[in-house]
Amino acid sequence: MRVVLAILAGGVALAALPWLGASAFAQSFLYLLFHWMVLALSWNILSGYTGYFSFGHGVFFGAGVYGTTYLAGRMDWPFLLTLPASMLIAALLGVTLGAIVFRVRSVRGEVFALLTLAVTFVVATIILNTRIDGGPGIYLIGVDIPRLGPSPAASLYLLGLFACVVTMLAAYGVYASKFGAGLFAIHDDEDVAEVMGVPTYRFKLVALGLSCALAGLAGGIHAVFVSYVTVSETFSITVPLSVVLMSVLGGRRHWIGPAVGAVAITCLLYAVTSGSYAVIGRGAVGLILVVVILLMPNGILGVVLARLSKRRRREATHEALPLPLAATPHQAGGILLSVSGLSKSFKGVQALSDVRLEVRQGEILGLIGPNGSGKSTFINVVSGHYRADAGEILFEGRNLIGREAHDVARAGIARTYQIPRPFAEMTVIENVAMAGMYGGGKSKGAALDDARRHLASAGLGDKAQWLPDELNLHQRKFLELARALAAGPRLLLLDEVLSGLTPTEIDGAIAMIRRIRDQGTTIVFVEHVMRAVVALTDRIVVLNHGKLIAEGLPADVMNDPVVRTAYLGKAHA
Amino acid sequence: MLEVTDLDVRYGIAQALWQVSLTVEPGELVSVVGPNGAGKTTLINTLAGLLRASSGSIRFDGADVTRIPAHRFCQHGIAIVPEGRRLFTGMTVLDNLELGSYLPAAKARRRQTLDEVLSLFPALREKLPVAAGLLSGGQQQMVAIGRALMARPRLLLLDEPSLGLAPSIVADMFDAIRRINADGLSVLLVEQNIVMAMELARRAYVIEEGRIVMTGPADTLLQQPEIRKAYLGLEG
Amino acid sequence: MTLPSLNLLLQSILSGVFLGGLYGMIGLGLGLSWGLLRQINLSHFGFVFLSAYLCYQMATVGGVDPLLTLLILPPAFFLIGAAMQWGLAHFRITPFTSLLVTFGITVMLESLIQLGWTADFRRMASHYAERKFIIGGLFLPVPELITLGLALILAFAVWAALRFTDLGRAMRAMSEDAPIAAAFGINQKALSLVLSGVCLALAAVAGICLALTFTLTPTQIFAWVGVVFAAVMLGGLGSALGPLAAGVIIGVSEAVTMVVAAPSWAPIVSFSLLILMLLFRPGKA
Repeated sequence: MRVVLAILAGGVALAALPWLGASAFAQSFLYLLFHWMVLALSWNILSGYTGYFSFGHGVFFGAGVYGTTYLAGRMDWPFLLTLPASMLIAALLGVTLGAIVFRVRSVRGEVFALLTLAVTFVVATIILNTRIDGGPGIYLIGVDIPRLGPSPAASLYLLGLFACVVTMLAAYGVYASKFGAGLFAIHDDEDVAEVMGVPTYRFKLVALGLSCALAGLAGGIHAVFVSYVTVSETFSITVPLSVVLMSVLGGRRHWIGPAVGAVAITCLLYAVTSGSYAVIGRGAVGLILVVVILLMPNGILGVVLARLSKRRRREATHEALPLPLAATPHQAGGILLSVSGLSKSFKGVQALSDVRLEVRQGEILGLIGPNGSGKSTFINVVSGHYRADAGEILFEGRNLIGREAHDVARAGIARTYQIPRPFAEMTVIENVAMAGMYGGGKSKGAALDDARRHLASAGLGDKAQWLPDELNLHQRKFLELARALAAGPRLLLLDEVLSGLTPTEIDGAIAMIRRIRDQGTTIVFVEHVMRAVVALTDRIVVLNHGKLIAEGLPADVMNDPVVRTAYLGKAHA
Repeated sequence: MLEVTDLDVRYGIAQALWQVSLTVEPGELVSVVGPNGAGKTTLINTLAGLLRASSGSIRFDGADVTRIPAHRFCQHGIAIVPEGRRLFTGMTVLDNLELGSYLPAAKARRRQTLDEVLSLFPALREKLPVAAGLLSGGQQQMVAIGRALMARPRLLLLDEPSLGLAPSIVADMFDAIRRINADGLSVLLVEQNIVMAMELARRAYVIEEGRIVMTGPADTLLQQPEIRKAYLGLEG
Repeated sequence: MTLPSLNLLLQSILSGVFLGGLYGMIGLGLGLSWGLLRQINLSHFGFVFLSAYLCYQMATVGGVDPLLTLLILPPAFFLIGAAMQWGLAHFRITPFTSLLVTFGITVMLESLIQLGWTADFRRMASHYAERKFIIGGLFLPVPELITLGLALILAFAVWAALRFTDLGRAMRAMSEDAPIAAAFGINQKALSLVLSGVCLALAAVAGICLALTFTLTPTQIFAWVGVVFAAVMLGGLGSALGPLAAGVIIGVSEAVTMVVAAPSWAPIVSFSLLILMLLFRPGKA
């Protein structure tokens, strides 16, 4: 709230400038600052927050430029009315593109960057060759600029300021919201985000739409500011590249980072290119980009914030021990998950074939088998990450087949990963709160409170503000557990939580898993450490080559000759 | 010939091996057995230079190879058949085999070694121009072993050669390993298929949760109750 | 839209083939470093232009035969490439960061060129410029023929080297599974230096061809990015012959678009192809 008020107060203060006698030059310089801040901040809402680097911000900006140009210049719409239209055009273009591109899982990273760049050139070519422009460019001299301030220059200044305030509010609003937390989770590990309950596809589309609309607004205003619009200027590669540079330089992880970068670069460019060394200045900007990417991949703000958070952590005192988890009565008996005829193959290799099993309420079911027997595939299919080829998965009587992973998470199933996959750029407590917000459906505040309790019961209470990188493997495994529990699952899928731990650590983990079960969570336990399997599980099922080969009480199963052959090779004497 | 002393290996943040010591004598076939996730692959990969030891030492033929760069291990006479084979799948079988003899010493005898490999695995002869990724699992395993032999090593490191193969092919594979060893090449074999591994080896080590817990002649080890416990989690 | 005469159509297809040869030549080094080193080297384009300007300088001012610069520029650029890789090897570079870093380098090269030669248009005058063969009413200009010839020779040379030499096969092995390649004695660091050097040497040759056939201006550097990327992705990353084949396909379709529709429509062909490639074959990327 304080931030919102600060933005609004700053906006109001700056709005007074034209009446305080600021020069036309100062106003247009500030306008340019606002312009680049809007572009960089809006770019960051998709690309910085989710990590989908777009090189196509120019096309959404351009859609705004030409939206206003066409509507105001050719159709004689009033200028102000064209602005929402331009935002809509840009957003529609973005969402249409995203609806196609975000469906293809492999379009990430550099592929996404190149694709958006290519789209820019295609749209530019179309505009160049159709009535929208036609080639020579369009003059907007005749467009009436409504008198918002004492002069036309002031009107544009005020419009730029308005766009900047709106964009800052949007960037901050997203950043601080639960939605924003979901976007950051997509950035760190999209698959895990989805499995934890973040509807990744929809979130990316919304972020892209918002980002494009704001770029379209900047474009619409800028069309009138430059008053002569050409395709080659509008869609030139400098727009997307400057925006990327500004955001990377300022810091993408923080909402205000791109604005810092925008101010720095605009001032720098002004300082070097206004003199006689324009060319060297451009070269210097290139050099800065190289140095920043190599030495400060998180940008200026990233470096500053990392320093600050380290200090904060050192000052953090031990928090009071919170209440233990509320124990729900241990209710045994009913069938929680029932799987039948489940099959899945990859490129001809049958990873699961016709698997049928049941998980009963309140039990720990051991799922074992040699390497490559299909245990991990089983977890991936049940959690919705892979789509089954055939079969049925009933959870609490509802069929899970065909449901997206985030839907499965919300239905009450959580999982851990054998190699912990925390969100690397979130603190430990933010990691846990993510699960509470999305799998557990809590508000951000409630999820943070809840996360504190889960961390305490996992023995990580004093590490809440740490980054996952700073934890050892044992702690990361417990973070993984705490995060899964924070979703409040009724079924917990544990994938080799013990691997890589020392014998003492294993004993601790066994005790914790037992506690989790006693509090009412049903567990499927995939594990190789046999003494833990025997110590913990109520029943065991054995997979081999994707088929279920045995099922029953631990002692019986491990004495089964078929199981012994699967594990030891030949029939064992 | 190979002497490993007090080896500690970390895999990222996880410590995977604690104080592992073992030896392989010239001409010997030694097995390392243990359940999944016990650290067998980590051990093999460290001995081949793919992973760094955080402490301890690896001596090979009297030379300390613990800290040398990865691409020098082969020069010293160590070749690996990695877990999951890890062939260069986009390249032909012949390319894969010849890349085994990339270093000058092995390259000088490339023709001759290739003939030896093809007589050990005649099935590969007609597959030479085929992309390695298109072969069946058993044939890929042959290429992986052949590639290692092409380096003319003095120690062959074999990681789970039976993984994912049908039982009849596993028998062939172990037969080939027996013959390779009979020709005088030292072999360190890591296997989950404990019975086969013990039949092949004279000596064996049992590894559990990253530590060597037992060692001795292979045939007596198999009778120990601890083995049953490690594998099946059962007492007695 | 009017139907062009047959002769005009054939002539434009031919010029598309020549242009495609240049696309392929620029794409060859770019695709190698992308496919085998996992670096998307945008500065490849900057170096192509730098080489073109150096060739221009030597030919126009020094009076050196442009083809003689083939003996000077590629070796020099090989050293630059190796040095660049040596520097980058100190940092953890993902394909994506390589794109940003090399963009920065490109901007620096552009400034450098502009400082040295200004933003004016430069056309290399050489005794090859006006020569042409005329066969069946079709013009075959000599500079274009040289370009296409060099593109073919280099593409096949690289193809053969990757396929038949130990060094080339080691490079492919390294890009497939670097740790295992190292286990068989392949020195990844050294090979990366060589490979990066080779890529820039190829950029140098492409630059010389560019100087032979085109009028130069520094701002044109980015004009080549989209179309060459399309050729590389269409042809396959790390492939030697692919970019040339794809370049010719794109060049011809552009040329035909120019005659059938209008010259300004041409970019839509290559960029649409690139978009389709990215969407449907991104596994190769």
